[in-house]
Amino acid sequence: MAHAADAKKALDSRGYTGSLIRGDNPLKLFEKPVRDRIIESYYWKEQCFGLNAATLLDRAIELTFIGGTYGVSQRPTPFLCLAFKMLQLTPDKEVILFYLQQEEFKYLRALAAFYIRLAWEKDAEVYETLEPYLADSRKLRRRTREGWTLTHVDEFVDDLLIKGRICATTLPKLNPRVMLEDEDKLEPRISALGEELEELDADDDGSEGEVVEVANGHANGNGHPEEDGDNDADMDAD
Amino acid sequence: MPPKRMTANQDRSHRYYPGKVEYAEDALSSDSENSDAEASSAHQPAKPTLPKATSFPKDARLAANLSKIDLDARRAQAAAQEAERLKREADARAKEEEEFVTDDDNDEEDGSGREQESGSEEEEEEQEESTSSEDDVPKRRMPAPKFISKTNRKQCSVPVFSEEELAAQEDARRKERADEMLQLQLEKQAAAKAAGKKDWDDDEEGLADEVDDADDVDPEEERALWKIRELLRIKRDRDAIESAEKEREEIERRRNLSKEERDAEDREYIDTQKEEHEGKGKMGHMQKYFHRGAYTFDADDETKQLLNRDIMGSRFQDDARDKSMLPSALQIRDMTKIGKKGRTRYRDMKSEDTGRWGDLGVRDRRKDGEYKLDERFRSDGDAERAGGTGANAYAVGERRKRVDDSRDGRRDDKRPNLHYVYYDPA
Repeated sequence: MAHAADAKKALDSRGYTGSLIRGDNPLKLFEKPVRDRIIESYYWKEQCFGLNAATLLDRAIELTFIGGTYGVSQRPTPFLCLAFKMLQLTPDKEVILFYLQQEEFKYLRALAAFYIRLAWEKDAEVYETLEPYLADSRKLRRRTREGWTLTHVDEFVDDLLIKGRICATTLPKLNPRVMLEDEDKLEPRISALGEELEELDADDDGSEGEVVEVANGHANGNGHPEEDGDNDADMDAD
Repeated sequence: MPPKRMTANQDRSHRYYPGKVEYAEDALSSDSENSDAEASSAHQPAKPTLPKATSFPKDARLAANLSKIDLDARRAQAAAQEAERLKREADARAKEEEEFVTDDDNDEEDGSGREQESGSEEEEEEQEESTSSEDDVPKRRMPAPKFISKTNRKQCSVPVFSEEELAAQEDARRKERADEMLQLQLEKQAAAKAAGKKDWDDDEEGLADEVDDADDVDPEEERALWKIRELLRIKRDRDAIESAEKEREEIERRRNLSKEERDAEDREYIDTQKEEHEGKGKMGHMQKYFHRGAYTFDADDETKQLLNRDIMGSRFQDDARDKSMLPSALQIRDMTKIGKKGRTRYRDMKSEDTGRWGDLGVRDRRKDGEYKLDERFRSDGDAERAGGTGANAYAVGERRKRVDDSRDGRRDDKRPNLHYVYYDPA
């Protein structure tokens, strides 16, 4: 059904008989204007026709940037088109995890993370699956409405978990981690820094370790100013 | 000679416009300083004289080189080239015909190759200065002549082409060459496209290079940056936890206080708020009210500070603190309206108000002095003068009784009593 010549059936809200995400057509996760832009784009028409999980992998490997829509005419990025295709196909969990675990292709990983955040309904699973990738510090190129920026995989994953809207889509509601911890569904996050963090905590009582901005060049770890030889007060003492 | 513009309308413009080319009848202007203009105008006599470019660089070297160009020689050369080309084509044609006849054996193998060879040999001689021509007719080796007897000669068909057919053949050849060129160009374009990045109709791919996503350029630095990000995230989480904790503590604490203590704290809080409000500049008399606007959002700290600034008490240029010193025409709230037609004379509500507000126990004592006035000018009074005013001011006395008036006396009069009136309808 996903390979019909024009995928009207999948995009039609009536009589949809595929798998549901959050009780509705998975494609509904994207807003109507964005959906329209994607379907009318050349990338979708040329490259995303008749894809299955394997051929989608081929396309995803060729991605060179992430992003939502850009430009005055709100053109969708190939990243967004492939995400849309994935929602149309709704691949299995194993396939998605396979995509996510590919070390070699970071854009594929970003795509899988995006899909997980959109499609998976159990919050605890989303957190557990995505949090390890907060350690992946590779660079990603991101296309914004006006131009290009540099971001990183961990920043992107963090945005997925914290923000409400990213890449031209409103992310479905995700319970904050604190709430899940209170309900004992999750353990508190173990950072990838791990031991280094404990060391930092032990060293600095007040300051924040590496995040201290060196103001006048004299800042020690303890914050004592540089001590001169004489105080001014002593000069006058006779 | 037909009119230049093919119209009956008169030639309108004889004005001088800078930059406009003047179409003179004689194109060869001899008094031109610019040899370049001279050269081009001489070269094409039909074209108009070029405008004199006085800003043309008078570089000595350039001028010298220009003067070295001998145009007649070039013209002769061009003519010679043309003649040679024609001759060559005629030769080529002739050779093709010959080769059709003489060499049955070699025709299949070398015919095409030889044609090309001999053609290019002649070409190379002529290609001294001109750019390489597009005809790649390579060298042609002359085959050894083979004698054919008369009978054989008649048998072999000589493809004698008429003029039109020759021309047609030429055209066909030219088209082929053009097609080949086009093909080459298209292939080049396709190759360039394939070699470049895959643009999905994107012209701005070049800008993508600004942002480089190559990893492991500087592992140390990248690791350090990542550490900073990670620490910031951890800090953010911890701060959130702390603030939630504090809130909970505060709530607990307030619950544990008794009611009076709660009220005391509330009052303190309200007092501090009031102080803040008062500490802000008060609006002076008739000061213009500047509102921040409804659609502001809090952004970073700088903008917040800007938004929270207090402008009501501050002065600006030409601001008169005390407007009562100004003449009344200038005592308006918005000083920008001075001198403009749409200004209203409205000052403030209090001055425009016509009502009487407040305690009116104090009445005006105008009536105390009225006794001095003439009666006519006194006020009407209230309920005291209930009877009447003016002509009604004095009570009318009793009427004297007159005999005429009583009804009973009238019976005794001489006048007849006209109580009964007979009416005769006839």
